Amino acid sequence: MSTADLLALLPLLVLSVGALLLMLQIAFIRNVQFSSALTLLIFALAALSCGPATDYAPRLVTPLLIADKLALLFTALFCLAGFVTTVLSMDYMQRRGDQPEEYYLLLILSSLGACVLAYAEHLGSLILGMELLSVALYALIAYPDKSILPLEAASKYLVLSGAASATLLFGFALLYAITGSLGFSDLGTQLATQPSGNIMLLVAMALILAGLGFKLSLVPFHMWTPDVYQGAPSPVTGFLASVAKAAIFLLFLRLFIDAKLYRYNMLLNCLALVAILSMLVGNVLALQQDNIKRMLSYSSIAHMGYLLIILVVCGSSNNRALAIEAASYYLIAYTATTLAAFGLLSLISAQQQQRENVLLDDVSGLFWQQPLLAGLMLIALLSLAGIPLTAGFVAKFYIFSAAISGYHWGLIAALILGSAIGIYYYLRVIFYMSKRNSPSYTLASTASGWHISSLSTALMIIILLLGTAPQPLMAYLRSIL
Amino acid sequence: MAGSNYLWLIPFFPLLSATLLMVTAGQLPKKIIGFLGAGSIALSALCVALQAQHFLASGEIMQVTLWTWMSVANFAPGIAFYIDGLSIVMMSVITGVGFLIHLYSLEFMDDDSSYSRYFAYMNLFVAAMLLLVMADNLLLLYLGWEGVGVCSYLLVGFWYRDPANGKAARKAFVVTRVGDAAMALGLFLLFTELGSLDIQTLLLAADSKWQSGDLIPTIATALLLGGAVGKSAQLPLHTWLPDAMAGPTPVSALIHAATMVTAGVYLIARHYSLFLLAPITLEAVAWIGLATLLIAAFTALAQQDIKRILAYSTISQIGYMFLALGVGAFSAGIFHLMTHAFFKALLFLAAGAVIHCLHHEHNIFKMGGLRTRLPIVFWSFLIGSAALAALPFTSGFYSKDPILLSAWAMPNIGSYLWAGGLLGALLTAIYSFRLVFVVFFGEAKTLPNKQPGWKMSLPLALLCLLSIIGGWFVLPLDHVFPAYSHGEINHSVEIISIATPLIGLAIAYGLFLGKQLSISGFTQSTLGKALQSFCFSGWRFDALYQLLWVCPYQVLAQLWRNEPIDYLYRGIVSLMQWSNEQLSKLQSGELRWYATSMVFGLVILVLIMLRSLS
Repeated sequence: MSTADLLALLPLLVLSVGALLLMLQIAFIRNVQFSSALTLLIFALAALSCGPATDYAPRLVTPLLIADKLALLFTALFCLAGFVTTVLSMDYMQRRGDQPEEYYLLLILSSLGACVLAYAEHLGSLILGMELLSVALYALIAYPDKSILPLEAASKYLVLSGAASATLLFGFALLYAITGSLGFSDLGTQLATQPSGNIMLLVAMALILAGLGFKLSLVPFHMWTPDVYQGAPSPVTGFLASVAKAAIFLLFLRLFIDAKLYRYNMLLNCLALVAILSMLVGNVLALQQDNIKRMLSYSSIAHMGYLLIILVVCGSSNNRALAIEAASYYLIAYTATTLAAFGLLSLISAQQQQRENVLLDDVSGLFWQQPLLAGLMLIALLSLAGIPLTAGFVAKFYIFSAAISGYHWGLIAALILGSAIGIYYYLRVIFYMSKRNSPSYTLASTASGWHISSLSTALMIIILLLGTAPQPLMAYLRSIL
Repeated sequence: MAGSNYLWLIPFFPLLSATLLMVTAGQLPKKIIGFLGAGSIALSALCVALQAQHFLASGEIMQVTLWTWMSVANFAPGIAFYIDGLSIVMMSVITGVGFLIHLYSLEFMDDDSSYSRYFAYMNLFVAAMLLLVMADNLLLLYLGWEGVGVCSYLLVGFWYRDPANGKAARKAFVVTRVGDAAMALGLFLLFTELGSLDIQTLLLAADSKWQSGDLIPTIATALLLGGAVGKSAQLPLHTWLPDAMAGPTPVSALIHAATMVTAGVYLIARHYSLFLLAPITLEAVAWIGLATLLIAAFTALAQQDIKRILAYSTISQIGYMFLALGVGAFSAGIFHLMTHAFFKALLFLAAGAVIHCLHHEHNIFKMGGLRTRLPIVFWSFLIGSAALAALPFTSGFYSKDPILLSAWAMPNIGSYLWAGGLLGALLTAIYSFRLVFVVFFGEAKTLPNKQPGWKMSLPLALLCLLSIIGGWFVLPLDHVFPAYSHGEINHSVEIISIATPLIGLAIAYGLFLGKQLSISGFTQSTLGKALQSFCFSGWRFDALYQLLWVCPYQVLAQLWRNEPIDYLYRGIVSLMQWSNEQLSKLQSGELRWYATSMVFGLVILVLIMLRSLS
């Protein structure tokens, strides 16, 4: 392994070394403030190190990892998301677990898993990254050990996610049995020699779709989502909904393109079916939900459905470039927006003991008490709904034009219908936030402080910038794809 | 500070000020509100002046793209400006006259409790109007177009506590919306046919793709004309403008006289080469202009509300601009647009001063004898009316005369257009001096309780000056429009054109001041009364539309209130609620059921995959 190889992997190395350092610190000095500060530093350094690493991209480092600019862009995104999650957690985890230091360790490990997924070019590194991400998440979800909901959520996630990983592994095993290779591009070349009617291949693709479908909470593998999202501590939910989803989708996209899975019409049909189901079921389930966390979890099912359209569009080679560009933009916009929405939920709560639940009534009148936080939530919700001048609009417009260029009218119809339903429940939250309560009503607890206000402002600006001046990012994406 | 790099400053100042005023929601001290409100327009006007000077010196057309919003596939809307002579003229009028009106408003709105809201809307209006005339592409133009529409709605209904004002605002919004819908369709058509929304690209593409008289440009221009007719209050969509006088008088001066209502004229002038490809539409523009100017002039004769007279006169004068565009005299149309902005703003501001000093009295027959009591206002009104009537050596004369002569020069239909325009000019002189004689001469019926201060008098004085000397301005339109000359015109035609307003003045003098003429015998007769009430009601257009559109619509709405259409929508709602409940039941929270559903899903996927074998 040459120096250039190591430099290309710099963000991963920074995260790994950081995890070790943090572990040593916890072993010698137990100090929450110090741990969180160290975590912030590690995330910042890892994000920054993506800059020098781009000079060595693209480069295949061992058969396992590919360090191209897309991987580095998303690594930076995941590290920044980790940074934001840390800031949100500092207030939230206070008085929640007995020893909050290890929480940060798990967060770094989980982010490392996500970054490995961004680099993955081999089924081996895929499994490695995915398990690193998931196993750390089980512990993160269950971290507040004083209440019952997180434990319930973690055990459900553990069992079901384990089953999904097993399905995925089984699918990979079948692929290996057919082709004898594990690298994505190798798979592509080997599979080309196989007849498309190979039963093992078909079953393998179904198994992989099911496994990844679970991780992305696509219908019909979505059942776990609301329970886990609701039970997890809000910052972890935000991380799970943004980073974990984006990492796995990015990986799916890579596998899909590099292993040339788009050649199989049956798979495309299955994807289209799952996409339509996810868009409709997700939105309908969110409709009358009074628990905002559950509502957002259903809406994330729908958003994953929107994203899946892109994989179907990839089926024709003319539109593939536009589709990949659309996917990358959507993932970035979605990550920022989701972090903002869940970030707000982790900052407010009505009951100190049951902080995992945030109901509509809890945000009622938020505009009049916490205008900045309410403004952040407003913009995040408008972006999720896809209203112009926010990141979500541009992202959805991208998917729209990608789908239109491939003439996928059924998917477009579902996208429009789903978005229309979505407006209702997003606006409902805004409606509650702008209610005027009696003066005696106050929120039991809201976090405040300069770090919270500057974080909220930064997220707001990012979402609005992505919506009003998306051109630089679009141009960058076009240049690296 | 001149050059394309600084263009963005022009709409930026008013926009910034509007934002600040809206965000602070009236919490600022009054002095600062006034400073922001009028000062932002002053800065913007200064920038326009520098740009205009730069443009006149270099003659360089400026085209800048501030930023491209997004470029996905073939769609790349940008915030881009295109500044040529036409834009410079429009920008100068908007910011110059706009600033004077803002200055005037400082005093006029002084005792209003919503001082801040007023200036926020006014500044937003100026910003939107500037975007409209500076836009390089139709999307940005449409943004400005809708922006001014919204501001017009907000300002007409400014005193929203009186439901009548709200109704007038709604009417203005809905009626112009009919035109806007046509215009949007026109934009879509142009985009699908030519594949671009950039105005210059689009015009070039149209020229090379279509022949004169082709069907598509005819339809596209007809749709654009629909938008222009709605915004500029021309037949048949003119009914909103008289009611829009419900807003504060400076609003009427700025939006409903000087700037927004001329947006339709700008739209046609900006796309003139497209209209040249559609001779039928262009001729329709001329006829619409003629019909509007006559109907509005007749109506103005019978009105008693000082602002409604001016409103109908605005409709009539824009009719002249349409007439000029229709006969191909684009420069003459834009020239009249500018002089009209001067003298009509002057008249409205003077009328506002009368109303302000006279306990909010609107009926001209309750005024009278104000010549000595409000001298500044009197002289303003006199000069404004002289320009409106196009008496020789006023600005109105220099702009209206070429229009009439160009109409005459039009082959085949020229003489009809000319005769109609001439009749309109006669009527204009009569109704404008009727206004002067009734309000400022004779015996006093209501006494003013205050005098206008300097903030009101200075704009009046400056506008007086502009109304007189505006006719000598040379507009930099030579490179914008094709050279136009109406050729040699018979001298008798010229003399008749010049003499007509003077005859009108004499008739008005005889009827309303000297009383040498009397038509009371006629007006007392049954026919005369009917005619008068017919004119007073604006040729019964409101009643006609009430009968044709509003009533059937209301009846239909009543009939269908509980009817099938609603069931469909309620059905969708219930279907969604029902499916929500059913699906929610599946979310039982039981791990074993979740695992089972995963297995089900997997089995189904495998089955679908295996189907491809058979």
